[in-house]
Amino acid sequence: MASIELPHIAAAARPRAPGLFARLARHLAKNPSALIGVSIYLVFVLVAALAGSIAPYDPIEILFTEDGQLAASLPPSAAHLLGTTNLGRDVFSQLVLGARPSLFVGLTAAVAVATIGSAVGLVAGYLGGWVDRALMRLADLVLGLPFLPFVIVLVALIGPSLQNIVLTVAILLWPNAARVIRSQVLTLSQRQFIEAARVTGAGEWRIMLVHIAPNIVPLAFLYGSIAVGWAILTQASLSFLGFGATDTISWGTMLQDAYASQALDREQFSWFVPPGICLVLVVLAGFLISRGYEELLFPKLGEG
Amino acid sequence: MGTLLEVKGLSVSYRRGGVAVRAVDAVDLDVPAGAMLGLVGESGCGKSTLARALMGVLPGNASIDGGRVALDGEDLTELTPAKRRQRLWRELSFVPQTSMNALDPVYRLRDQMREVLCERGGLPTKAADERAVALFRSVGLDPVRLTDFPHQFSGGMRQRAAIAMALALNPKLVIADEPVTALDVIVQRQVLDTIRRLGRDLGLSAIIVTHDISVVTYLCGLTAVMYAGRIVEQGTTEALTRRPTHPYTMGLMNASPDLHEPVETLVPIEGAPPDLADPPKGCRFAPRCPLALAACRESDPPPVVVEPGHSAACFRAAEAGALREAARKASTWTR
Amino acid sequence: MAYFGRRFLHMLIVLWAIATILFLLFRLMPTDPSIAHLDPTFTEEQRQLVRAQFGLDRPLFEQYLIYMKNLAEGEFGLSFRQRQPVMGLVLAVLPNTLLLTSSALIVAYLFGALLGASLAWRRGSLFEKISVPLVLATRAAPEFWLGMIVLAIFAFGLNWFPSGGANVAGARYASEWERIFSLDYLRHLVLPVLTLAIYLQGLPALLMRSNMLEIMREEFVTMARMKGLSERRIMLRHAARNALLPLVTAFALGFGQSVGGNVVIENVFSWPGLGRLLVDAVANSDYPLAQGAFLVIAFVLVVMNFIADLMYGLLDPRVVHGEH
Ligand SMILES: Nc1ncnc2c1ncn2[C@@H]1O[C@H](COP(=O)(O)OP(=O)(O)OP(=O)(O)O)[C@@H](O)[C@H]1O
Ligand code: SF4
Ligand SMILES: [Mg+2]
Repeated sequence: MASIELPHIAAAARPRAPGLFARLARHLAKNPSALIGVSIYLVFVLVAALAGSIAPYDPIEILFTEDGQLAASLPPSAAHLLGTTNLGRDVFSQLVLGARPSLFVGLTAAVAVATIGSAVGLVAGYLGGWVDRALMRLADLVLGLPFLPFVIVLVALIGPSLQNIVLTVAILLWPNAARVIRSQVLTLSQRQFIEAARVTGAGEWRIMLVHIAPNIVPLAFLYGSIAVGWAILTQASLSFLGFGATDTISWGTMLQDAYASQALDREQFSWFVPPGICLVLVVLAGFLISRGYEELLFPKLGEG
Repeated sequence: MGTLLEVKGLSVSYRRGGVAVRAVDAVDLDVPAGAMLGLVGESGCGKSTLARALMGVLPGNASIDGGRVALDGEDLTELTPAKRRQRLWRELSFVPQTSMNALDPVYRLRDQMREVLCERGGLPTKAADERAVALFRSVGLDPVRLTDFPHQFSGGMRQRAAIAMALALNPKLVIADEPVTALDVIVQRQVLDTIRRLGRDLGLSAIIVTHDISVVTYLCGLTAVMYAGRIVEQGTTEALTRRPTHPYTMGLMNASPDLHEPVETLVPIEGAPPDLADPPKGCRFAPRCPLALAACRESDPPPVVVEPGHSAACFRAAEAGALREAARKASTWTR
Repeated sequence: MAYFGRRFLHMLIVLWAIATILFLLFRLMPTDPSIAHLDPTFTEEQRQLVRAQFGLDRPLFEQYLIYMKNLAEGEFGLSFRQRQPVMGLVLAVLPNTLLLTSSALIVAYLFGALLGASLAWRRGSLFEKISVPLVLATRAAPEFWLGMIVLAIFAFGLNWFPSGGANVAGARYASEWERIFSLDYLRHLVLPVLTLAIYLQGLPALLMRSNMLEIMREEFVTMARMKGLSERRIMLRHAARNALLPLVTAFALGFGQSVGGNVVIENVFSWPGLGRLLVDAVANSDYPLAQGAFLVIAFVLVVMNFIADLMYGLLDPRVVHGEH
């Protein structure tokens, strides 16, 4: 009980100006698409968290009907909301548990992209000189790589785990964030308060961490939120192509499974339509949030 | 000469974040045929809005709240949009400030000329090209430049091209919004000379919008002074410069160099124009007027005719002689 | 011209860097690909041949020089599995990929530009309010899933089109041209092109819409209205024409990206293209083939980026004449 009350006390003890969260909440209220995006996320996060208790069956358990037959390719029914696979597994249970890898990949990739992008952007923008030039050339180069083929080759070489997929996506997506953050750092470091800090003898690292870094958090967040969709789609595509982690059930592997076992031919829509819709929703939510967030960061002047 | 353009009670407002901004408020204005009228006033007083409302082309958040705009006695605001569109450019044309992207960047000048001459003027291509050459010559541009793109022109040349374009269909009235503001002083002078020559040669009727009184005295026989969405004084340029009657006009003259009767120094008018979303009660100039009386803050001064063809909207118009004396002293304007 | 030269040099450097990255990737992996994945049926002689061909018995730097020299001569080595020159295998499927990509892009950009323009024209309408999230959703949909739905409906359900491949099995044609322009090939092309186009149209549609909205605020559009031009003419000749500029660049960039991105679609529809070749090669640890396929995909991407730059210059007079 006490542990639930603690945060309230802490919040009350530390009065704060209506800062980022209040602003964010107000913005959400005015921006219906961002609100929809956030709601979709919350629902999926909830499903992923409670997947164990929502799913009626073990997703890889092979099920049998009451008369002892393999429960293969059953149409949707009360017992199997979305029917069963050709090997007698419950599609709905797979769908529910499939939320986990997608969200894991999406969110960790977002954090990774935001972190790498900020670090590179900060260093390049703040140090300038050859470090800057080298990092930006590298960014150009990475942006010139064909995305999916590179991911395929790299994942095939370093092994198809979820972590490795996140790693490859982060390796390919940091340059966008780094470029924008770098130019933000460049404009910031010419501002007066930075000059002032320098005059008062603050060290370079201190200036970078205390005065500049906090100002680029919103941009890092924006690029992180854009990475969510990319990472989820990449993971799904890799799974579909057979390069995904073989030990996890994800929406991508479900679709691969359905494709490989002729579910299309049997027109078993209840198997392969729902995972795709879930993917669309999660990725779309990312789009909606980053769009809304972009408007918050860069409000367009004028109206009508 | 008869009246070419007659504006009566024209009001325009913008919607801005749920608030209505009355940028043009019950404006009356007459332009006789063959006359050039200068419309002056500080930035933001509604000159461009008025000019664009006369054309009937306003941004999406603007609305015309009332009034009439009669060209040769026919009210344009009563016409259907299609009929009004037919009048545009053939009867009323516009010279924009070309420092903005007023010419389409992806077409050569020749094609933009053709568009107007063929589409709107009904000329065949060949005749249009000949006309374009003549027009370019008349504004002092080398016709070989017709095959250039707008970005290949200097600012002054772009402005000349825009003037040529406005003259293409021999309109009855040309409205020019800050035609020389973006140019440097020497080029300004050259373009002004061209406009003046065209005015004389073609007997052009025009409204020249500017915030620079010297442009008006150089070009225009008539002047209208605008303040906070209203016309506060109008008459011949001569009358207005020699016998300004509204204190705002007197202030403008003091703030401009190079006029007939110079004051000791240039004196700006203190303060800023009012917020048009919430204009002050009474005379709109009262908060800045050094000659204001208590009555001025109570009600709106109506325009009074001070001599034939010269009117001013000031309660103290009758004492104008004494006010002018006071206004000439710099100390009057500094508090 | 100087601009052209600079961009061209930049392109060469990027190509070199990509080739180097690929070299390092394959050589610095913990396992030597030639040892770990050589087909056990290779005779000792063949094994030596392959090792010598790739110079795998020499120091790394020397290997790198040999590799670069081979690449420069268009020599990609032998496929481990098919024991044929990689170059030949890649070139055999390249036309399929280029054709699929260009058809899909043309359909997508024609449709997208029209859709985007009408969205901008009718901004604020119900049509726009419904369409924009729908278009976003097509961008969010995994390509392979779109392909599966299209297959289930049009190939398996309605039986209108074949479900995979590029030609009916066993068909023979006198020449490559005849094959590509055969009705059979076109029938096989329809579904992958449709799927890819659904996926690709979102970018041009949204880009066109926002460009148009921006341009409709420009002074020259207001001037066109003042000139009394028809609304149709203003939209098409002025707003749309200006808004199209960035789309042309996006088209060229999209072409480069799509050749790599097609990997998924080609696998859904068993389309014998580069992407499928790459996936098969990687799945079978056929490294020379994977490397060759990847390099050609990267080559197309880099060249298209280069062309995109040049095209932008051609279409925007401001760039041609050296202003920026
Ligand atoms: N599109 C618009 N939406 C909202 N308000 C506008 C718009 N255009 C102008 N206004 C407002 O209307 C008023 C008059 O503007 P207008 O451009 O007509 O003034 P102006 O006299 O031409 O000024 P300037 O000399 O700066 O060109 C100003 O307060 C301005 O802020
Ligand atoms: S009416 Fe009064 S406040 Fe207005 S201008 Fe005249 S004197 Fe000044
Ligand atoms: Mg103006």
